[in-house]
Amino acid sequence: MRILLALGKLSEAKRLVPITSAHVSGASYKMIGDPGLEFLEDFAKDARVVAATTVNPLGTDLRQWEELGVPRDFAEKQARIAAAYERMGVQPVFSCTPYLLGVRPGLGEHVAWAESNAVCFANSVLGARTNRESGPSALAAAIVGATPEYGLHTEEGRQPTVIVHAAVRPRDLDFSLIGLVAGERVGDGLPFFRGFRGSEEDLKWLGASLASSGSCGMFHLEGVTPEARKARRRGLRTLTVTRRDLAAAKREYSDGTEADVIALGSPQLSSEELREIARRVERTAPRIPVWVFTSRAARDANPEAVAAIERNGGRVLADTCLEVTLLEHRFSTVATPSGKGAYYLPTLCKQKVILDRIDALLERYA
Amino acid sequence: MSPVPFSFVGGVDPATGKILDSDAGISDDRLTGRIFAFPHGKGSTVGSYVIYGLAKRGVGPAAIVNSAAEGIIAVGATLAEIPLVDRIDTACLRTGDRLIVDGDRGAVDLLGVKATPVVSAILRNRGRILIVRRSDAVGSFRGRWSAISGFLEGREDPRARARQEVREETGLRGAKFRTAGRSVLARANARVYVVHPFLFDVPSRRVRLDWENVEYRWVLPEELERFKTVPRLMDVVSAVLT
Repeated sequence: MRILLALGKLSEAKRLVPITSAHVSGASYKMIGDPGLEFLEDFAKDARVVAATTVNPLGTDLRQWEELGVPRDFAEKQARIAAAYERMGVQPVFSCTPYLLGVRPGLGEHVAWAESNAVCFANSVLGARTNRESGPSALAAAIVGATPEYGLHTEEGRQPTVIVHAAVRPRDLDFSLIGLVAGERVGDGLPFFRGFRGSEEDLKWLGASLASSGSCGMFHLEGVTPEARKARRRGLRTLTVTRRDLAAAKREYSDGTEADVIALGSPQLSSEELREIARRVERTAPRIPVWVFTSRAARDANPEAVAAIERNGGRVLADTCLEVTLLEHRFSTVATPSGKGAYYLPTLCKQKVILDRIDALLERYA
Repeated sequence: MSPVPFSFVGGVDPATGKILDSDAGISDDRLTGRIFAFPHGKGSTVGSYVIYGLAKRGVGPAAIVNSAAEGIIAVGATLAEIPLVDRIDTACLRTGDRLIVDGDRGAVDLLGVKATPVVSAILRNRGRILIVRRSDAVGSFRGRWSAISGFLEGREDPRARARQEVREETGLRGAKFRTAGRSVLARANARVYVVHPFLFDVPSRRVRLDWENVEYRWVLPEELERFKTVPRLMDVVSAVLT
């Protein structure tokens, strides 16, 4: 409660609003280290969540850490973090895509989510309302069952600040690239996109990149997202994104020459995406490992796809995700179609990056 | 006291409270039991947990003073039960100062330091602002470049005092008041000048100096950094121009 009051005071919120779900970040031992472990274990002694709460990916897949070459100490501490969350009543769903796992707050519903891609998806695609929470603030909201009402919880805070016209017909990787380019230009603004359409899956990749290179918590897409129609656009400046900008971003985020792993995820793949990858690697077996990051539920629901990927030298990792997982002990250059991955891998995992379409990567490393 | 924004992740040794960040200019100093002042937090949100861990081990700061409030520090101080006071201009504090921090009132008392209220008039003419070089006859900052300024006495109206200083020090007539900025705290040894900034537009650049100044220039605001000025003149100018 004191955390919420401190944050509410900062943002000059007038009141708390009840939430229907919380999503907490800060579960990877790689990210939060000993300070986070210590805090969570102390906190778990008495704190219990009252809202339905999910939590972000861990620093490794705890069911295959030994085969991954993860140090024992790391795995043990990681397991203690997971256990601490469970003691607090958090569902042991370690995913950055709660919205693919049945947690789908509806239009106008207030929630408190951390994890920038999930925040962007909830606000933009679902029309639910959440600020970009931090790990501790989302946890505090989960325990109190409410969050300070400011920013993206208010009608005013959800209005666009800039129009982004993308004069391209985007497909697969283009959505990540549009996100990266727009995020760099918009910063902490709220973009109103127009000029293209996209499926829910496409918008997942767009939002994840946008929330990485920028600190956007929401976007509108004309004719697609639920609040686009009533968004006020008058007097806003317009930025244009061209095919050339996308090509430049792809070059800018690729600093590697030869990859030692193809990594798919960030955010975690859906069941459909997992099966699609399995079909592709069955067609052309890659000569370097393919690591696929997905949720435990998707992994369990698709044993054939998992077997196909593993038969072709790959791995399907659950409960963890690309840049919060331990990679740096094995690899130095990662090839990925994830804009978010390309943004964070150099700093969080000390990796060089090759950013490209999945079919181009599979072809190149066939 | 760190003059630059601070990250507790990587910025401090979580086991001992020793400062590691060399940009802070106080590396190897320990936070333990001291009041830590810096403009605002930055970096990873794990910083909140580091503040908690420091306090738990008894090596954390006794209190935190910030210029701007920010989530990482606010959450960390709450978890650690460390008093935090924000909206204090930390640029007027010095390492080694003695402070009393009152977390409940949100106030800081700076011991052994005298506060002196002054007014500062920024005069503008066609995009340029007036700066003057202080003479050897004045009591402070001799030879430094400054805006038109003067002490505020008793209960007089700061804006009226600023106007009067403009007339006395420049002889300019017809100054039009535009805006008043938030006060800026300028530190000089055991004194803090509480500067009340005002912006006036003047119709002419013809200045007649009095005994307080020896030279004047009309400059673009971005040229200020080339001059040896009184402390925080740039911040005083930004307070009324942005």
